Amino acid sequence: MTITSFSFLALVTIGAVLYYVLPKSLQWIELLILSLVFYYYAATPYTIIYLVASTLTAYFSTLIMRKARKKENVKQAFPLAIAIAAIAVNVLIWFILKGRGLWSWAVEGVISHACPAKMDAFSSMQLVAALGMGYYTLQIIGYVVDCYWETIEPQRNPLKLFLFTAYFPQMTTGPISRYARLETLFERHKFQYQNLAFGAQRILWGFMKKIVLAERVGAFVAAICEKPDVYTGFYSWLVILLYPVQMYADFSGCMDIVLGVSELFDIHLAENFRNPFFSRTSQEFWQRWHITLGTWAKDYVLYPLLKSKPMIKFGKFSRKKFGKKLGKFLVNVVGMFFLWMVMGVWHGRFRYIVGVSLWYWIVLMAGDLLAPVFAKFTTFFDMKTESFGWHLFQSARTYLIYAIGASFFSLGISGGLALLQDAWKVLTVKDYANPWIFFDESFLNLGITYGDINLFFITVLLLIIVAVLREKYGYARIWIQKQSFMFRWLIWISLFVMVLIWGKYGPGYNAAEFIYQGF
Amino acid sequence: MTREAVYERLNNVFREILDDDSIELHDETVADDVDGWDSFEHINLIVGVEEEFGFKIPMGKVVTMKNVGEMVDIILELGR
Repeated sequence: MTITSFSFLALVTIGAVLYYVLPKSLQWIELLILSLVFYYYAATPYTIIYLVASTLTAYFSTLIMRKARKKENVKQAFPLAIAIAAIAVNVLIWFILKGRGLWSWAVEGVISHACPAKMDAFSSMQLVAALGMGYYTLQIIGYVVDCYWETIEPQRNPLKLFLFTAYFPQMTTGPISRYARLETLFERHKFQYQNLAFGAQRILWGFMKKIVLAERVGAFVAAICEKPDVYTGFYSWLVILLYPVQMYADFSGCMDIVLGVSELFDIHLAENFRNPFFSRTSQEFWQRWHITLGTWAKDYVLYPLLKSKPMIKFGKFSRKKFGKKLGKFLVNVVGMFFLWMVMGVWHGRFRYIVGVSLWYWIVLMAGDLLAPVFAKFTTFFDMKTESFGWHLFQSARTYLIYAIGASFFSLGISGGLALLQDAWKVLTVKDYANPWIFFDESFLNLGITYGDINLFFITVLLLIIVAVLREKYGYARIWIQKQSFMFRWLIWISLFVMVLIWGKYGPGYNAAEFIYQGF
Repeated sequence: MTREAVYERLNNVFREILDDDSIELHDETVADDVDGWDSFEHINLIVGVEEEFGFKIPMGKVVTMKNVGEMVDIILELGR
């Protein structure tokens, strides 16, 4: 059962009706049952033991910490040791099951030397991870740390804590929620028409992004990437520039469905996207893209690291030795390295460490270093840095930087390099460019029609309109809500029809998994 | 310690660390309002505040404080 399937929509509909019909004291229990049913159909059922294990480590460690704190003769270090142990267990389970791409080469190396006969057995050994493991593991770690920092009270009901871990809308691709925000899971919720309307609208919009746009772009890009020797030159540029569109429509579309579904139950999850492609710098981009991962890493990795004694010492030393500016820069270099490494490693494979961690670490550090030079340049030429044109240039630059990282992200290290090299040849090798592919019917060989191309432009235009409305009104649907009855319904019915007619779904067609489902 | 006294010392810490003498903090001031106050400087500022007032601010407070007003509340509470 995926969240774009009819069975999921049916489950959610039945679930939502029961939710408001049943006594309010039973609401959280119903969510728990819904989560179990969803897990049973969406994942390998037995892997739920990993969720149970995570929940139990968090449950017992936080209660032990709390008890220890109440006693007077317990040392300060004891709660810290408990918290670290709980985090270590969770990271270890995650690393074994999800981080296979990071450790299997080492094990393979050992086996091929020690007993080559066992090699096949190792390669075929299946390690099935739990659904949503990357997401709920971070949530649980955040919960343990919050209890250690005493910003929240530990949950005393293990079933409630389990619901926090396994809450079904966020099992596919997050968001990575904080416990303090999700405590509403255990409260009583009254039926409100607005939740129903906004939730359904958001789900519809998510379907549009995923099955009308992302699936189309994805099929086109995949067809090009299948034959990199045939489709070269401007095809490579197309792949580079379309990946971000696919990735955004896919991931943010999924988030729209997830947040919409949760809204039906009056549970308002944290936003993961805020118009990332409007960002003027890469730093801003990561404050608007996969927001819950970025803020998680900031609060639980970067801040504790920067506030640790060795880092404070290092900061003071480098400021004294190299001056205020360079000293601060060096602290940034170290802090950012750890922050981005954690974000890259979380994705679980080397290609992601390169495409996310190293690439952004280098870009951001270079940006920091060159910022004064850029500033001098723009003042010297008297550029209007607040003008629309300049903003557009900055956004295009940020987009391209993301696109380059995404090439590694999607194709791996060698694949990404080959793609970028090929694109580079268009600019540097004579007669390598093939601009005619935009004007003859070359694209039609890639399994798409003129209709697909038109739909692409229409949906991207819609995305831009919605993004502008969101920037202005908070949410596009808030603007729509203020329109006349006829216009409002015209918008939603058109969108519904659009998804129905042009969406890629139904028997014989399996909507591809969400890209971020793998983490 | 009065709120005004805390603000006077806090302004000095911020001006010194961020190298900007024009900084004038208020209850509603947030990081976005002050040039250069990013995640990295946030911790520098916290450490600066700790050294100025002579106590440690717990991590839980560091990650949850929303504006300068809350920072002042924390300082007044810890300084009692």
